[in-house]
Amino acid sequence: MLNTLSLLHGLRFIDSFFPSGGYAYSSGLEAAVQGGAVRTGDQLSQYVEQMFRHGVARREAVAVGIAHEALLRNDVQVALAIDHELHAMKLGQESRVASQQMGRQVVKIAAEPPTAHAVLRDFYAAMKTDRAPGHFPVVLGLTLADAGWDRGETIAAFCYQTAIGFVSAALKLLPMGQREGQHLLERWTPLFDECAKEATEATTMTAWSPVQDIYAMRHTRLESRLFRS
Amino acid sequence: MPPLHSHQSAMADVGRVGSLDLRYRRDGSRTILTTSRCSTPWHFFPPAYLDDSGCAVTSLVNPSGGFVAGDHLSIHAALEEGAHVVMTTPSANRIYRSLGEDSRQSITLSVAPDAVIEWFPEVTIPFAGSRFVQTMTVTLAKGATALIWDSLASGRVARGERWAFTSLRNEIDLTLASGARLLERYHVRPGEDQGGGLLSAYDYVASFFVVSDAVDLDRWPAVRDTVAGILDSFGSDLLGGVTEPPAPGLAVKLVACSAEALVKAQELLWEAARRAILGLARPALRHY
Repeated sequence: MLNTLSLLHGLRFIDSFFPSGGYAYSSGLEAAVQGGAVRTGDQLSQYVEQMFRHGVARREAVAVGIAHEALLRNDVQVALAIDHELHAMKLGQESRVASQQMGRQVVKIAAEPPTAHAVLRDFYAAMKTDRAPGHFPVVLGLTLADAGWDRGETIAAFCYQTAIGFVSAALKLLPMGQREGQHLLERWTPLFDECAKEATEATTMTAWSPVQDIYAMRHTRLESRLFRS
Repeated sequence: MPPLHSHQSAMADVGRVGSLDLRYRRDGSRTILTTSRCSTPWHFFPPAYLDDSGCAVTSLVNPSGGFVAGDHLSIHAALEEGAHVVMTTPSANRIYRSLGEDSRQSITLSVAPDAVIEWFPEVTIPFAGSRFVQTMTVTLAKGATALIWDSLASGRVARGERWAFTSLRNEIDLTLASGARLLERYHVRPGEDQGGGLLSAYDYVASFFVVSDAVDLDRWPAVRDTVAGILDSFGSDLLGGVTEPPAPGLAVKLVACSAEALVKAQELLWEAARRAILGLARPALRHY
C-alpha cells in the first residue's frame, strides 16, 4: 500500500498536468469516429473496453509490470528487453511514435534527479544512445517503481491514464460532455482493476484488437485530423 | 494413465509429429531444391515453376487435411543466397475439435542475402472447440526480402459456426540483419468475447507483411499508397489499414466479411507488392 510521499511522487507522472503530450493522441479513435464505428458514448465504451481487455491489458500493461519488476530486481537488461519487444509488436507507426514520444517526456524528468534509481538512469542513458526505443509503458513502470508504487498500483495507474487519453479525445470528437466522460471512467474502473491483476501475473505480451489496430493504421490517411494518432 | 514407454510414445507420434525440411539454392536463373526431408503426415511435392522468373513454387501438402489434437507439424526452410521461393498450401488449414490438447505448427524460415521468401498459405479454419498454436520465425540476412500472408477464419462460416473455437495462439516473428524486428503475437479465446463487439461484423482476419532492407526507403510510401487504395476499394466488405512497421517495409491488417473479399484482397495485395518490390506479376497458383 502506498505511503503519502510515494503517492505524491508518482501521481505527478500520471496527472494530466504532466507534459507527456498525451493530449495530442487518440490511438486511432479519431479514425474510428470518422469511419462511423464510434458515434455514441456506448460505442466508445465498447471500443475502449475491448481494446483494454484484449490489447492494452495483454501488451502494454504487461510491459509496465515487467519494467516495474526490472527496477526492483536492479536489472536494466530486463527493462531493455521488454522495451525492444514492445517496439517490435507496435506495428502501427503513429502509435509507436506516440508511445516513444511520451516515454521520452516522462524519462527526461523522472531520471533527472541524482536520487533517481540506477536502473531508471541506465535506461535513460540507453535511450539517449539509441540502444532503447523508450516506450511509455516501460518508462512509466520504471518511474512508478522508483516512486515506491507496487506493481498492481503501477499497472492500474497506467490503465487509468490511458483511459483518460481516450475520454479526453472523445470529448473533442463526439457529442458528449464532461459528465458522460466521468461516467465512463467510473464504469471502467473495475476493468482497470481486472487488467492490473491479469497483467501482474502475465509474462508474455500478446494483443488481439484487430479492428482498433486497423483504425490506428488508417489515421495517417485521414484528410482532416485533430490528433497525431 | 500410466506413462507411455518410449516405443509406445514413438508409435503414438507417427502421423502426428511430422517435420518438413527444405533447402534451396540459386542455380543459374532458377531456384532449385537441394535438400528435402519429410515425415508423415507431410507429403513432398517438387517445386513448380509457374513463370520464367525461376522462382520455385512449393506446395506444402498435408494429406490428412488438417490438424487434430496433439498434432505437431514443423516446417524448416533455408534459402541460400539469391534463392526465390513461394510457399503455399493446396487448401485451407483445418483445425479440428480438441478435448484438451493443442494442435501445433512451427515454421522456421532462414533467408540468406538477396533471397526472397513469399509465404502465402490458404486460410486457417479453426473448428468449434479446437485449440491451435502456430509460431513462425523468419530470419532475414542483409538484402533478403519476405512477403508473409497469414489469414484466419472465424470458423466454418458456411454452417454458421463463428468464433466457436476454444483457443488460437499465433506468433509471426521477423528479424532482419540490422536487428530490426516485427512481431505479431495474439492469443484468441472467443469464450472471453474476443470475437464480439466490432469484430462481430467480420468473419476473416488477415495480416500481410512485406519486409526488406534491399528496397530504397523512399520507395515504400508509393507502395503504401497503392496498398491503401486497394484496401479502400472494397467498400463495406472489408476494413483494412497499412502502416510502416518497426522494420523496413509495410504491415497490413484487414478484416473481411466474406471469403470472396479475403481472397480478392490477397490477390490484389500480393500482385501490388510483388510488382513494386520484385518487378514480377503474381503467380497463378492453380488452386481449384
